[in-house]
Amino acid sequence: MLEGIAIGLSTALTPGNLLFVMMGCLVGTFVGMLPGLGPMSAIALMIPIAASLDPSAGIILMAAVYYGAIFGGSTSSILINAPGVASTVATSFDGYPLAKQGKAGKALAIAAYSSFSGGVIAALFLLVAAPFLANVSLAFQSTDYFALMVLGLVAVAAFAGKGDMAKALLMTVVGLMLSTVGTDQTQGVPRFTLGMIDLVDGISFLLLVMATFALSEALMAILKPKDDADRLKEKDASQNLGSMAVSMAEAKDMAPVIGRSSILGFLIGVLPGAGATIASFLAYGTEQRLAGKEKGAKFGKGSVRGLSAPETANNAAATGSFVPLLTLGIPGSGTTAIMLGALIGYGIQPGPRLYIDQPAVFWSVIVSMWIGNIVLLILNLPLIPYIARLLAIPSRFLLPLILFFSLIGVYFVSFNTFDIQLMVIFAVAAVVLRFLDFPMAPMILGFILGGMMEENLRRALLINDDSWSFLWERPLTLSILLIAAVCLVLPFATTYIGRLKNRVFGDSPSAD
Amino acid sequence: MLYSKDRIGGVLLLLFCIAYGLLSRNIKLLPFQMDVAFNARTMPEVLTVLGIGLSLAVIVFPGSAARPELGGYRWGQCALFLGLMSVYGLTIRPLGFIVSTSLFLMIGFALLGERRPHILLLVAVPLVVVFWVLMTQGLDVFIEPLPAFLKNGGS
Repeated sequence: MLEGIAIGLSTALTPGNLLFVMMGCLVGTFVGMLPGLGPMSAIALMIPIAASLDPSAGIILMAAVYYGAIFGGSTSSILINAPGVASTVATSFDGYPLAKQGKAGKALAIAAYSSFSGGVIAALFLLVAAPFLANVSLAFQSTDYFALMVLGLVAVAAFAGKGDMAKALLMTVVGLMLSTVGTDQTQGVPRFTLGMIDLVDGISFLLLVMATFALSEALMAILKPKDDADRLKEKDASQNLGSMAVSMAEAKDMAPVIGRSSILGFLIGVLPGAGATIASFLAYGTEQRLAGKEKGAKFGKGSVRGLSAPETANNAAATGSFVPLLTLGIPGSGTTAIMLGALIGYGIQPGPRLYIDQPAVFWSVIVSMWIGNIVLLILNLPLIPYIARLLAIPSRFLLPLILFFSLIGVYFVSFNTFDIQLMVIFAVAAVVLRFLDFPMAPMILGFILGGMMEENLRRALLINDDSWSFLWERPLTLSILLIAAVCLVLPFATTYIGRLKNRVFGDSPSAD
Repeated sequence: MLYSKDRIGGVLLLLFCIAYGLLSRNIKLLPFQMDVAFNARTMPEVLTVLGIGLSLAVIVFPGSAARPELGGYRWGQCALFLGLMSVYGLTIRPLGFIVSTSLFLMIGFALLGERRPHILLLVAVPLVVVFWVLMTQGLDVFIEPLPAFLKNGGS
């Protein structure tokens, strides 16, 4: 492990890579701060640049953008009560009330210290867990990978909100369908190309991500622009931050919260599909319960604990989500799904072999997480008063620029104008589906995992003489598939039991 | 409830899944490819069944009864931007990067309310030129800057 850390340090600490960490954190903070644009859009916008770098530098850049975007999301949550991403919604519960009390600077500092601690502690866990899991997963076969991918896809849908599971599963299937466009890899047969030569190689994942996230976000903002009161609020909040000092008593109050939320966040992040949003809400709820009556009552009114818990947990979960990506090659979240796509673009197959075949990439990602968190704390925090002013850039300039960067990002990779037209088509579909409250992240995950899933299933069938019996004869495969089945059935079962309870005890005052 | 967001989305995706299923029948397989347990059509066929089943589930058991509200949205402006992006895709080669992108940005800014011509020019053109220099000089990504008729001095 020490050798690995040394490899990671020597790779991540080169002047060029350090520059990419700093640049990534800054750009990520800026993009994440813009309401509506989250880490997925931020990373998607960075892919064209990352593609021109070597794999280590590219992944370091994207990881830095990831943290930066989460940090930036917290900033807009605190300052203007407009979370850039779902994972920072819980941050606004206590961050915004603090800002309203004239303590925006303090709230930002608490968020930064908590994020830093959560990220650093989780990176320590990752350091231990990733090589261990990678060694264990060396025993995995194609059949197990297929089962794991099924689990990953089902888990994402299972963690969707109440009543949204069918929609999330449907979007996953749509993603899987899109992944089948192009030439079939094994039999060399064109599928769904509609006779167009431009579709023979399939749909580029970058194109799909840019169209469904960055482009559709900007188009949604064009569809429903903010009113003048909101704009005034943003301008005002970005100019009056107050002191950034955190008192000793507040630090003491935060310390145990950070410890607990880091562990919770990391564990939730490791689970495929759960991610930073669930981690932040769980940490918030847990701390509220643990805080006792007096301190618990302050939650939602500007509690230091209430701000620290979700901030720590969402950063720890972001780090945790790298565990399945780096060790199994299965993304734990939409964001890591994009990173998986980028790694595949480099010709690197994440999974247990990554640890052995590409130690520089594996370890530099882990080490860069520490560096990224340090950069966020010592560079971004003091710069926040200036970065926050970017919130005041008029949307009439910002939105066309986002559209331009999205389009040109894809065009610069393929130099094919057909891609721009295809992006417009996907953007229209994405805007319509978002307007109808259909989630996009499961679709991206389905798209990324689709090709790999089909390939692993085919390989498994080839090894097993075209027999499907491996699904129930190999204990590991069967166990993973059973877990997937439980993930699938459990939300429906709990909803059904809940309804049944309501029907039986519905009108009774002593029901609970 | 009948025209809820979930149901409309479900119907749209049901149509998509049916179209996908119909197109999957056009996947041409050679006789020996048909005999294997998993051929190029297997996954699309399974996905069609899953997609149709899930679409129907969303339509029959919608998670929410929220109805789409079309009022208060700038649909026309959004459509104009979609058109603008499409035209940008068509003009980036014949007009070159700098001209087409500057025009794209200036029209975009103007569509969102910026009417001062000097501001449109001063924001768009320098930004596009700096971006082009950064890409070509910094990242070695070359893109033709000028219109086709000006290439090689117009020869």
